[in-house]
This record gives sequence, C-alpha cells and structure tokens, in this order.
Amino acid sequence: MMMDRYSLLQKIGIYLAVAIFLGFILLPFVEMFVVSLRPLEHLFSSPYRFWGENFSFDAYSRMWETVPLLGRYIWNSIFISGMVTGLTLIFVIPAAYAFARLEFPFKNGTLGIFLAVNMFTGAVLLIPLYRVLRTLGLLNTYWAMIVPGVAFLIPTGIWLLRSYLEKIPRELEEAAFVDGASRLYTLRRVVLPLAVPGLIVVSVAVFITAYAQQFLFAITFNQVRELQPLPAGLYEFIGYQDVTWNEMMAASLTGVLPVMLIFLFLQKYLVAGLTAGAVKE
Amino acid sequence: MATLDLENISKSFGSAKVLHDIDLAIRDKEFVVFVGPSGCGKSTLLRIIAGLEESTAGKIVIGGQDVSGAHPVDRGISMVFQSYALYPHLSVFENIAFPLRVQKMGADDLKARVHRAADILQLTDKLQLKPGQLSGGQRQRVAIGRSIVREPKVFLFDEPLSNLDAALRGDMRVELSQLHRELNATMVYVTHDQVEAMTMADRIVVLNGGRVEQFGTPMELYHHPATKFVAGFIGQPNMNFVPGVVAGVDAAGVAVDLDAGGRLVLPIEADGAAKGDRVEVGMRPEDIRLGEGLSLNVKVIERLGGVTLAYGALGDDTRFCAALDGVAPAREGEPLALSIDPAACHLFNSDGRVMRRKAAPALVA
Ligand SMILES: Nc1ncnc2c1ncn2[C@@H]1O[C@H](COP(=O)(O)OP(=O)(O)OP(=O)(O)O)[C@@H](O)[C@H]1O
Ligand SMILES: [Mg+2]
Repeated sequence: MMMDRYSLLQKIGIYLAVAIFLGFILLPFVEMFVVSLRPLEHLFSSPYRFWGENFSFDAYSRMWETVPLLGRYIWNSIFISGMVTGLTLIFVIPAAYAFARLEFPFKNGTLGIFLAVNMFTGAVLLIPLYRVLRTLGLLNTYWAMIVPGVAFLIPTGIWLLRSYLEKIPRELEEAAFVDGASRLYTLRRVVLPLAVPGLIVVSVAVFITAYAQQFLFAITFNQVRELQPLPAGLYEFIGYQDVTWNEMMAASLTGVLPVMLIFLFLQKYLVAGLTAGAVKE
Repeated sequence: MATLDLENISKSFGSAKVLHDIDLAIRDKEFVVFVGPSGCGKSTLLRIIAGLEESTAGKIVIGGQDVSGAHPVDRGISMVFQSYALYPHLSVFENIAFPLRVQKMGADDLKARVHRAADILQLTDKLQLKPGQLSGGQRQRVAIGRSIVREPKVFLFDEPLSNLDAALRGDMRVELSQLHRELNATMVYVTHDQVEAMTMADRIVVLNGGRVEQFGTPMELYHHPATKFVAGFIGQPNMNFVPGVVAGVDAAGVAVDLDAGGRLVLPIEADGAAKGDRVEVGMRPEDIRLGEGLSLNVKVIERLGGVTLAYGALGDDTRFCAALDGVAPAREGEPLALSIDPAACHLFNSDGRVMRRKAAPALVA
C-alpha cells in the first residue's frame, strides 16, 4: 500500500523515536528485574555494577517467607481490579449505548461533565469519599476499594465505548428494528457481539487503571491486612532496619506477571476487525 | 389486500422541507419504483413508509388501515437496505432467521421457512457461511431472504442493486422481477437508475425536489412525460431540448421556429400557447433520422455497434444527441443533416409543462 511507504531516512527516524520512547517506559522495568536478581549487599556497593557473579533468583523464593501474605495480596489486586472492571462494564454498556444512539436533553452537557470528572484524581476527593464510605459502613472491606474505583472509571469507560459503538452501522439496528426487535434485544444480539473488540479495549483500559489506582484507596480506606492489594502489601518489605529491595522488586514483577499474560493473549482480539462483511465496502 | 396509500405526506428536517404533500395510491401486488436525482427524498419517503422516520404531516394507509405511527412489524412491511445491513457475526441461516427469532417462532417452523426462502434465492448451500464470505450478489440475496421470511404485505427496497457491478445488476434485476411474480406482493423500490425503473416497474413515481413530478407506467412516462424534468430523466440517452418560438397556431398544430434555424409544425394541442411564446421542442435521440431540416455540428461519435451516437450542437450552442444507425456516415468535426418526424416531438412551455400531443403511439398497458 502507498500509505505504508517510507523512505529509509524516515524509517530510521521512526524507529529511533520508538526506541527512545520505549526506552523511557521499559528501562525502569529492566532495572527492576536487575535489582531483583542482585544480592541485597550489592545494591549499595559503589561503584555501581550492572552485572555481578552472584546474581540469582533467590529473592523470588525468599519473598514468600519475608511477606507470608504475598500470594493473598496478589490475588486481592487482581480480584479488586476484576470486580471494578466487571461492575464498570455493567454501568458503562447501557450508558455508552444511550450516548451513542439516543437523543435526550443535555446529552452533550452530560458528556462534558463526565469528561470534567475525569480530570479530578481520586486524591482530591479522598476525604469526602472517606466520609461517604464511613457513613455507608464500607470502610475496611473490599467495597471500600471497589466502589470508588468504579465511580472514577465510569466516565472513561463511557467515552471509550461510545466512540466505538458509534462506528457500528446504524442500518444494522434499523434492520433489526424493522424486523421487530426491541432495543434491548438489538443491543444483546446485534450491537454487543459486534462491539466485542471495543468491550475488550474498555475492559483492558479499566482493568489497568483500576490496578494502578487501587493503592490510593487501599491505604486510605482499608486497614485490614488480609484485604490489601499488592501495591499496599509491598510496604511490608520495608523493615525496621532495612528495605529488602530485591525481594520487593521480585514481588512487584511477579504480581504484574499474570495480568501481562492475559493482555498478551487478548491482544489478538484488539486488532481483529469483527465487522467485516456487515455493509458494503 | 395490500394497497398502500400515501396521503399528503410532508417531511421537514428542522427548517428544511424535503417532502411536499406526497399523495400516492399504490395498488395491491403492484411493483412501484421511486426514481429521482440524488437528494430528492426517495429514501426519506421510503423510510417514512417503513416507519423508520416520522412524517411531519400526512397519513400512511396499508391495506385500508391507517398505520401512521405503527411499528414496522405491525405495518406488515419489510425492508431491504442499500448496504444490505447483514449481521456480520451471524451465519446466513441466522441472518435470514432473525425476524423469526424475534417472533420466537418454533424451531421446526423456523427451519422450514428459512429453507424455503433460501431455496427461492439459491442460498441453500451457503446457509452456514458468514456474510463476509459471500459475494456482493449473494449478500444482496441474503438481505432479500431476511425480508421475505416474515411474509410481509409490502416489500420496501432502497437501492438494493447500487453496490453491484453492471452485469450482476442486470441478473439481479431479472431475479427481482421474478421474485415479485412468485411472491405476489406489493413492492416499492427506490433507485436513481432509470433503466431499473423502466424495466421492473409496473408504475414509476418520478420525484424531484421532494415533489411527485409524475406517477405512471413506464410507457406513459416515456411517451407522455408531464414535465420537462420527467422527459429529460426518462430515456437513454437523454431527450434533447431545442429552444424556439411559436410562429403560429392552427388546426394542424403548433408551428415552431427553432432558434437554430428551420420551422417545425408539430401535431400538438396549443393549450393556450400563442404566437411569440418561447417554447422548447423535446426530441428523443432515437427518433432522429438522417435527412433534411436539422444541421448538427458533430463533436463526438460513439459507435456501439448497433447504434451510433452523434453528440454535438444544433446551431451555436444547443447541445444535441442523435442515435443513428450503426453504419451511419457521421464523422467528428463535420456537419450532419438530420430530420425528425414532427409527430415524435414533445413541446414544453416556458414553465417546463408539456403540451398535449395529438398523435402519440398507442400505449401498451
Ligand atoms: N436525518 C436527516 N437530517 C437532515 N436532513 C436529512 C436527513 N436525512 C435526509 N436529509 C435530507 O433530505 C433530503 C433527501 O434525502 P434522501 O436521503 O431522502 O435523498 P435520496 O433521494 O434518497 O438521495 P440518494 O439518491 O442520494 O440516496 C436531502 O437533502 C438530505 O440532505
Ligand atoms: Mg437514498
């Protein structure tokens, strides 16, 4: 295709830019990995060495002893993010559909407000949220970390899914309508199956954000050790005397691993075009 | 009985009025085609009949029952969309079965109906495929299949063939006409292709700017166009319009002095026209012969084998086309002497309304 043709110089430029960009993002992970392999006493030795002879995976086994609840923390992280994702989708799907297809008063205004809400980080609202959760008796439960997560992610989800739903040809829904299908039937049998790639994009985005933001909610709204997610649980690697950095890095990487694997697997759905053959090309 | 009556249908989008008082009575089992240029409101009118769009004013009556405001299913219509609108994630079988699934029809009944539709449309061996695996013509048939399983009273088609190539379009045209005979249903068909209109329609509605220009059989429109617009729209190549002045009116008809030179005495009822009125004489390219009277400055020749099309100008600036014999001795850049039988001419007054022809070919009804 003509569109894909670049001169050699352009290609070098593009790859260079991508390399720099990826370097910024990935180097911290490389450093995490290297640190996790390093014996603790090497960490602070100077001059700093990138590689040493007694590097090992010891930290990956010792971390489970240093922090016995580590497995539980990893599970909590995934559970909380998973619940946030599920609940968010339940709210976002009908809302995004309404914004994409129905006409109602203040539609654009409401969308704007949703966008504005996105600009607040949870941090600004922590104290009011604390009071709300206390009144509802949700402090120190999983809900304390799930409910605020859902609330903050609904706007993002609506914006993402709405633009995807708008791309589904309107004629498909009109055809279903002419054949007697109700809105809900059409949503279930026509729109949602076609929106699967969009739903996956939204789920992934929501899951990742939920995974990242749970730390804040966990340390503010939850004191129960057994309910803590991984980022909060990592604090236990900070001892009275010293911090076992290598184990902390090992634990962080291990905690992210299952999620990474799921996303690698989902990637092929993100690129698949499910609408092939719907309408004329 | 599935008659379809439109009574004073008007439609506005905001301040833009796109349909003006449309009044049509479509008979039972009739194949009616809406034609007109792009943007004239064909689709809008069809969608109003379907119940996808609400008319601003007027009534839709199907089979004697006022259905304005009723749900499409309750109107007893089904619609085939220009883009096919197939469900890409469902098999051909499920696509065709969709309207029946909505009705929660039993599995055996449903299967029988889908197979009958697939039979009619020669899709039986494609039932397990997805729409993406079909050719354009097959997709079109699936869309038609989905519209016939419900056995509606009125079928609506919005430019169903416009995405197909010319050869396939010809085939599908014949198939659709056959289908109409087999199903014995009322069909309303939208197209901007006048060949489709002429070949398939029992009667044609010519729309222009949201108004009905004329409603009649293809031959009525061809031989007795009510307006200059219809005359120019129906017929291929398009009718020539040669300006002139009324030189006199008598029992024989209307004498017209053409601006390009020459006088024609046309057997046409004067209809109030008087000496000195500006008029336009409509001449179909296929009525032009080699002869005397008109001189065409030929610019382009198209030899199609059986016919030769000569394009050029009459006099200085009247665009003109003549469809002549395949071996006509016409040459680009040279003048060509032509003639026309005055009885074959149409005459339009300055408002574009036709004046009645006295001697017109008998209509084959
Ligand atoms: N939803 C709408 N909102 C505003 N204007 C509309 C809408 N739908 C159609 N129109 C206008 O109504 C007029 C008629 O449109 P319509 O689609 O019926 O034309 P058409 O005859 O089907 O043309 P085509 O041959 O291009 O399909 C057009 O001027 C169009 O701009
Ligand atoms: Mg149209």
